[in-house]
Amino acid sequence: MRRWLMVLAMVMLILSTGLGLTKGQIVPVQRNILYVHVPNSIGALLCFVALLIASVAYLITDRPIYDLVAAASAEVGTVLATILNATGMIFSRAEWNVWWTPSPRLVSSALLWFLYVVYLILRTSLPGSYRRRARVCAVFGIIAFLDVPMVYISARFIPDIHRPDFSFESAWQTAALVLSLSGTLVLAGVLLWLRTDVLRRRLELESQLHR
Amino acid sequence: MMNMTSETQRSTNAALNVRSVSKAFTARPVLEDVSLTLAPGEAACLYGVNGAGKSTLLRIAAGLLRPDTGSIRIEGWDAKEHPETFRRHLGLISHASMVYAELSVQENLVFAADLYGVSNRVERIERLLAEMELTPFRHDRAGILSRGLLQRLAIARALLHEPVLLLADEPFTGLDVEAVGRLIRVFEEFVGRGGTLLMTTHDTRLGLRCSQRAVVLDKGQFLLNKAKDEIDPERFADDYLSYARGEN
Amino acid sequence: MKSVWSGFRAVVVKDIVIELRARHVLPTMIVLGLLIVFVLRLVSEPSSGRAEMPMMAAAALWIAFLFSGLLAQERSFGVEQQNGCVDGLWLAPMDAGTVYLAKLTANVVILSVFELVIVPIVLLSFDLRIEGRWLDLVTVLALGNLGLSSIGTLFSAVVQLARTRGSLLSIVVLVVLMPMLIPASFALLVLLGAMPDEVAGSGTMAFVGSFKAARGYMLAFDAVFVVACWLLFGVIVEE
Repeated sequence: MRRWLMVLAMVMLILSTGLGLTKGQIVPVQRNILYVHVPNSIGALLCFVALLIASVAYLITDRPIYDLVAAASAEVGTVLATILNATGMIFSRAEWNVWWTPSPRLVSSALLWFLYVVYLILRTSLPGSYRRRARVCAVFGIIAFLDVPMVYISARFIPDIHRPDFSFESAWQTAALVLSLSGTLVLAGVLLWLRTDVLRRRLELESQLHR
Repeated sequence: MMNMTSETQRSTNAALNVRSVSKAFTARPVLEDVSLTLAPGEAACLYGVNGAGKSTLLRIAAGLLRPDTGSIRIEGWDAKEHPETFRRHLGLISHASMVYAELSVQENLVFAADLYGVSNRVERIERLLAEMELTPFRHDRAGILSRGLLQRLAIARALLHEPVLLLADEPFTGLDVEAVGRLIRVFEEFVGRGGTLLMTTHDTRLGLRCSQRAVVLDKGQFLLNKAKDEIDPERFADDYLSYARGEN
Repeated sequence: MKSVWSGFRAVVVKDIVIELRARHVLPTMIVLGLLIVFVLRLVSEPSSGRAEMPMMAAAALWIAFLFSGLLAQERSFGVEQQNGCVDGLWLAPMDAGTVYLAKLTANVVILSVFELVIVPIVLLSFDLRIEGRWLDLVTVLALGNLGLSSIGTLFSAVVQLARTRGSLLSIVVLVVLMPMLIPASFALLVLLGAMPDEVAGSGTMAFVGSFKAARGYMLAFDAVFVVACWLLFGVIVEE
């Protein structure tokens, strides 16, 4: 099942890239990075939603699988957030000649990335029993999620001097974006699924070794 | 049929009812399905080697640790369902004194009284200071107290809110002869007034002196759970572990 | 009900009394704050032209506040580590949420003392004035204090056990608090006279919006996080 989904994701991404390079190309050329930037932005946010749901589920049911899903979402989210920041910086360099500037979009992307990374560090650095670490991470997951809207609202206090005037001019562009978005989300979902599995098997192996 | 009724009756009226408690840290089981019932006015002593699970069981009974399975009840109040009433009925004396070094003896007791919402605070504190012979030290900072005095303060703190159940984790450790005598007296008076005591100790003679029931914990399970008059005190005091293993 | 209030009051008073007697953190907080302000004042000397000074002053104030504030948070459960006192708290028939609120209150009080000291120092070193808007300044500082302390109190209960204690608490608190610092800095710059109350649209200004909106944001932030941390505290300390 996952193999097919992976293939589907790849196909969508390739199609999107193809379209983006040809019929759906945006002018000036650097703006085409939005085809990567926007899906990753949405993907990173959705991973946070997954993190929240998994964290709450873990706290309510006490079943380790939810803790593993939370960990996997954080990992996939970090990857997406990294791409988000990287593409944001490339865009910034190409469009305004600076690698980074405190504009709302770049600031929010950065804070999102920080939230994910701190979650991962908490997971690895907390001593104590498995259960304790999982509970603390779940609590942080909830707090961090509450922080996300705060991030986006506070970014409104920063002037958005460089807002690209962007609107979809043709159906091809819309199609390219939709394909890219779908492909990214499917890929993220598959990775999440895979990673949860890996973590689950590792946990089983560890508990068997302890016996 | 009759036996079951009296057993359940015993449990509901019990001062302490530990039912099917298990606890494992990571994959290592420390307690496996242990059950214990103590009637009001009963004093029991828990014996076992280091790492047998005595402290863990005591912490679970105190509500500080949650068991993986099973339940704890004090006078019918369940630790999970009625945590506040549960905690109000118990006092704990452990290795750590739970006393603030920067506060005086009296201030520590006032703090504990406020934590428990003790009503006749001043009166209770005066009485316990007198009972524990701490009155001359009442304004001394707890940080400069000797081990013996600190222990007395910890006992006063534990008894301040008139608990029904007193838990004591190796309370005789590091005490001199006078302090041991005082502690034995405290326990006897407490049990005499109808309180229930569960303590752990390595010193079998002291344990037998203070309690009417002996429980031996080994590898997470109760090897022995008998009233004092059902065991041979000499052989038990000599080597309770072999005795308990021999009994099975 | 009575024991809830008496327990709450007891923990707050105890924390403050112990801090006054033992002075575990306040001296270090103040010295650290002074050093930070000192460094930033030195660094900002070259750009001593009027325009940049308020920015550097705001930066000095918030950085000093953050780092010293983190020390204050560590105290809340650090002080309970001696003699196993933390067990004493959990043995009491006090709801975990009440313990949280009491610890939060003590932290806010201690951090306020620090703020009272550091603000005049910043104003003096950077040669700035607050033109009559003292109440607004107190409000902004109080809201910042509450935000930092709400998150710090929650996580300091956990991080006590970690080896990388201080730094772990720092990154957790900072990352969650970060969004609040944007409107907080804006508010402070307005009070220092470096920006008008309302900044509209775009331009070369560092911020847009209004002082009222910034203050409203900080209030909303605090409301969300105090409630969330209060509710989640019981989860985090359960063993």
